[in-house]
Amino acid sequence: MARLARRVIAVAAALAALAIVAGGARAQTLVYLHVRAFGLSVDKTSVSVGEPFHLILHGHVDEGIDALDNVVLPNLAGLEDLGDERRCTRTKSGTDCVETLTIDANAPGDREIGPATLSAIDAASGKPRNFESNIVTVHVTGQPKVPQETPEPNPLTDLLWWAARSIAFLLLVAIALWALIWGLRRLPHTAAPPASAPPPPPPPAAVPPDEWETRMRELVAALEREPTRARAVAVRAALRERVGARDEETLADLVARNAANGHGATLAALSAVERAAFCEEARVVDAVREALPFLNR
Amino acid sequence: MYATIANGHVVLEGPPGLAKTLACRALAAAVGGTFKRVQFTPDLLPSDIVGTRIFDQRSSEFTTALGPIFANVLLADEINRAPAKVQSALLEGMQERQVTIGPQTFALPDPFLVTATMNPLDSDGTYALPLAQMDRFLVKIVVDYPNIEEELGILERFGGDPPPLPTGIASMEDLRRWRQEARAVFIEARLARYIVNLVAATRAPHAYIDRGASPRATLAIASMARARALCDERTFVVPDDVRASAPAVLRHRLAFNYRTLTENVNAETIVAELIGSVPVP
Repeated sequence: MARLARRVIAVAAALAALAIVAGGARAQTLVYLHVRAFGLSVDKTSVSVGEPFHLILHGHVDEGIDALDNVVLPNLAGLEDLGDERRCTRTKSGTDCVETLTIDANAPGDREIGPATLSAIDAASGKPRNFESNIVTVHVTGQPKVPQETPEPNPLTDLLWWAARSIAFLLLVAIALWALIWGLRRLPHTAAPPASAPPPPPPPAAVPPDEWETRMRELVAALEREPTRARAVAVRAALRERVGARDEETLADLVARNAANGHGATLAALSAVERAAFCEEARVVDAVREALPFLNR
Repeated sequence: MYATIANGHVVLEGPPGLAKTLACRALAAAVGGTFKRVQFTPDLLPSDIVGTRIFDQRSSEFTTALGPIFANVLLADEINRAPAKVQSALLEGMQERQVTIGPQTFALPDPFLVTATMNPLDSDGTYALPLAQMDRFLVKIVVDYPNIEEELGILERFGGDPPPLPTGIASMEDLRRWRQEARAVFIEARLARYIVNLVAATRAPHAYIDRGASPRATLAIASMARARALCDERTFVVPDDVRASAPAVLRHRLAFNYRTLTENVNAETIVAELIGSVPVP
């Protein structure tokens, strides 16, 4: 029981930590946006105390997005947030995002609301930027709201209520455990699968040699028929694939890291075809002719 | 040597005692031509480099005394020990191959090569080179300590009398011809795009870089790649030429932010990662 509890606590702590990390990462991630509009408006500029009104935050960006992240809403001190609705609509010119807050005021006077802030990387300049909205002013009339009186707390009642809740919770846990143990006992005994390490990641998709050779023969035949740069580039790509070249690797890298162990002929062919792939247009045919003996080996 | 063929200026950075000055002298001696050396100090004046106008009392006229910049190879030793105004005196000469003294503009000898040395360790009494000045250097070569075998070789060669500087390896005429041939080296369209992508990668928002390289870096990588191809007896550039040229061209053109210092991040590693992030055509 104690071990189970420890595990539950450990899992909960891990999940909480993950949530914090994920939340932090999300908060720090800024997106590239062409922000065309970002402003605040209200549907009523004069309201009485307790009368709901709408604060509308409108943003328009050139990009197609699902939500406007990294928005800091204005401080609503002296106001009460009654509800919040967010909506983003894709348009021909980008995305329109509208967030509507339903609020009311607690006290009379002029209330300045704003600015709201949108943090993003300004796609025009490539620099992080805080886009600030305008400030709106609402004139509130009437008498201030009187806070509702809360009943005086009774220590004895609270203690009894807490005890009742604790007993009910423990009963529920006991019933759940009993049901779990009962269910496990009724399960047929099957041999537990042997504990094993997670399967290794699949090897990089390698083209089967036969398939590659067939394709290579076709590519070389095509190059022989039509000695153009495009054909040479296709042969070069196939050879690079054969020796497991990564996107950022040059021929010198491939030779240096011996990726082509056992592929000496392939490397020689790759070196020869590299000339055809990058030489002057007038010399492509000659370069292909020089490369063909290496490719036909 | 590649930078010389690419008609660019070179800055060598490394701790003292790594033969940076000797390397510049050897290069000048190898290609012939005139060689001048200026030891940059805090009290140096621009006129000490480019020259000045002197009033001749006999003729009652001003005459121009040309400075040491009028040489085929100018060694600016410890360039970061002179204030920015002196460093900037080199700007016109490095970029436009001419200097203006008073009302007159003088063309510099052709070829004209500035080789500068910098010591990154003693920062007291030094002035960081303005980025505009750094951008004028085609490449920055970082000179590091030799390994054991190399140092044994140094001991063997320089333990006794210093060997004479190599002379007559090539002539100024050879250098001019190589430059002309290098300019004709072919760069295929996909490679040209690769060069542009490399430089553009430095301008993308980066945690450690405030500002990326300018289009001058694009031209510099192309020039260096052409020179490498020529030295490899090719008339066309291959991806290896571009990739090998990029670090020396880019490393001094990027404005790294304070985080590289506070987090002790190696700028060379950042440059290598940037270059590695761009797919080779």
